[in-house]
Amino acid sequence: MSRRLLGLLLVLPALAVIAFLFILPLIMSAVGAFQVEGAFGWGNFTKTFDLYTKDIIFTVVIVSLSTVLIGIASIAIGGYLTLGEHPVAVAILRWLYRWPMFIPFIVVGQILRTFLAKNGMMNNTFINLGLLTPLDAVSFLDWRGIVVAFVWKQTPFVALLVAGAMASINRDTIEAARNLGASRLRLLLEIVVPQVAMTLTVGLILSFVTMMSVLSVPLMINAQSPTMLTADIAFRVNSYGDYGVANALGLISLVLAASVAWIYLRASLKERA
Amino acid sequence: MERNGFLELRGIASRYGATQVLTDIDLSIAKGEFVALLGSSGCGKTTLLRLLAGFIGPSAGEVKVRHRDVTYLPPDKRGMALVFQSYALWPHMTVAQNIGYGLKLKGVPRQEIATRVAAMQSLLGLDGLDARKPSALSGGQRQRVALGRALAIDPEILLLDEPLSNLDARIRLTVRHELRALQKRLGITAIHVTHDREEAMVMADRIVILNAGKIAQQGTPEDVYNRPASAFVAAFMGAENVLFLNGTPQGDQFAIAAGPANAAGSVPLGGRALAAGPVEARFRPEAARLFAADEIAAIGPGITFRGEVAAVSYPGGHWRHVVRLGQTEIMADAERAFEPGGRVAVFVPAEALFLFNLPEAVSAFPISQTSSGKVHA
Repeated sequence: MSRRLLGLLLVLPALAVIAFLFILPLIMSAVGAFQVEGAFGWGNFTKTFDLYTKDIIFTVVIVSLSTVLIGIASIAIGGYLTLGEHPVAVAILRWLYRWPMFIPFIVVGQILRTFLAKNGMMNNTFINLGLLTPLDAVSFLDWRGIVVAFVWKQTPFVALLVAGAMASINRDTIEAARNLGASRLRLLLEIVVPQVAMTLTVGLILSFVTMMSVLSVPLMINAQSPTMLTADIAFRVNSYGDYGVANALGLISLVLAASVAWIYLRASLKERA
Repeated sequence: MERNGFLELRGIASRYGATQVLTDIDLSIAKGEFVALLGSSGCGKTTLLRLLAGFIGPSAGEVKVRHRDVTYLPPDKRGMALVFQSYALWPHMTVAQNIGYGLKLKGVPRQEIATRVAAMQSLLGLDGLDARKPSALSGGQRQRVALGRALAIDPEILLLDEPLSNLDARIRLTVRHELRALQKRLGITAIHVTHDREEAMVMADRIVILNAGKIAQQGTPEDVYNRPASAFVAAFMGAENVLFLNGTPQGDQFAIAAGPANAAGSVPLGGRALAAGPVEARFRPEAARLFAADEIAAIGPGITFRGEVAAVSYPGGHWRHVVRLGQTEIMADAERAFEPGGRVAVFVPAEALFLFNLPEAVSAFPISQTSSGKVHA
């Protein structure tokens, strides 16, 4: 047997797994999105946009807002770990900030449900402190709850990447700016962050895609309309067995995720040029 | 040059954890002076520079600029600019942005920044490179951008942390002279850290030799080269040949007793405080003169050693001989080559023979042990 054939044979099991468990179902559901009662057509998409345009916008806004907040929070954490001068505070933060990474989304949803509800822990604390009257207490279990959950859960992941990148930049570049009189904020924003911009972008894009696919948080925190696309997909499949519209929603999610990946690819090509 | 105490260091000490890095550094530097801090790695010279720059605080002592205590001032309030060994250029900024950043921080208007950056670029020969990123520059250009960035804020004192060590050997030679000429033209005070003896000699008005966190000697290049204050300085300045002799001071002469490889002789004391007893003698290979054993002539004061040529090589310009004198080997240069195995006389003139009393109990200086190893290498 020739070496080439042998090589192909060796890689075949892996290829088969990818082809049958990943590519084929993806194509099937993409094709399924264009099938209405056995015939090809735009029916599923018309129905999707009729019913779920609000949810699509809701999803994009929620995930984009969360991404921005995650970016700010992880720059703040990474920046303090890199530039902070109080060794004890730095050590405590370094130990503390990673914990949410190890907590599943569903548990995050559960925790925040009890924390953010109208008579949840947060409002109770405020009322006991006299900062709020029971009448003014409002539930945060809507879009705000989802954002809080996403930011809480995803910030450690991005901060981990960003802090690692910050730790590996040449310290002399920071000291050179200090030598010329840069304040700590300018050091962070003008010297440190630009040098880790690529890592930050990668982390945020991975977070964006992850948040696009979370089902438990919108179901736990925001059981109302408008809601996120994942909840709609689950609803179409579980309540109606309507795979056509579910496939169309899935394809729209894929396009949204792919569009940020495209931004990343374009940026990385530009950087290499 | 008048020592008006423009920059003063008084009793500076620094420790890193339990390690004492610097002890009792006293230094006074005049305005416009070019001072080289010279020493081997780990001697504390970079620590001293970072302490001057304000990145670390001393554990004792004070730093004064124009009689003003700056010991605990932040780095940017000292009128000093540091050029880093790694250049530390900001990779995301262009040449013009790198040079102009210090001015931007000071709130200088945009128009004026552009003018001053352009002036700095033409001063340093960086014209037409303003839009380049550091990654698209050569080593020499990066070095000049780093220098331009430091000079742009018009500092009173320029701190240079081995700025030439990352350059090609050939470029380094020209940059030495360019840097020195620029420093003279701007009249700026410069403190240059280096481990390269020749670089320090060529560039500096004054050389401060550091050893184990202390100043071993300071003086003009001629001073430290021709009148080393200790065996360490002599060895560091290239007098790597080491021999142990016995002698006694007699009037203004130091009489050296005959030894296994040398006849008795005497050299002028010349103000040196040498006590009777064993002495460490050091000299440079190029200071020695070689003769065939039978053609020795009396040529002024000095000591003649007799030995046998062990090896000869041609490093360029002269022949370098390894000569065995009894138990030790020394190196000596000559215009012509002597055959290995031949008997020779090595004459060391009095002014090139550095003599030091051996410290009590401690035998030779550590470096003398390694120098005999270098002979074999």
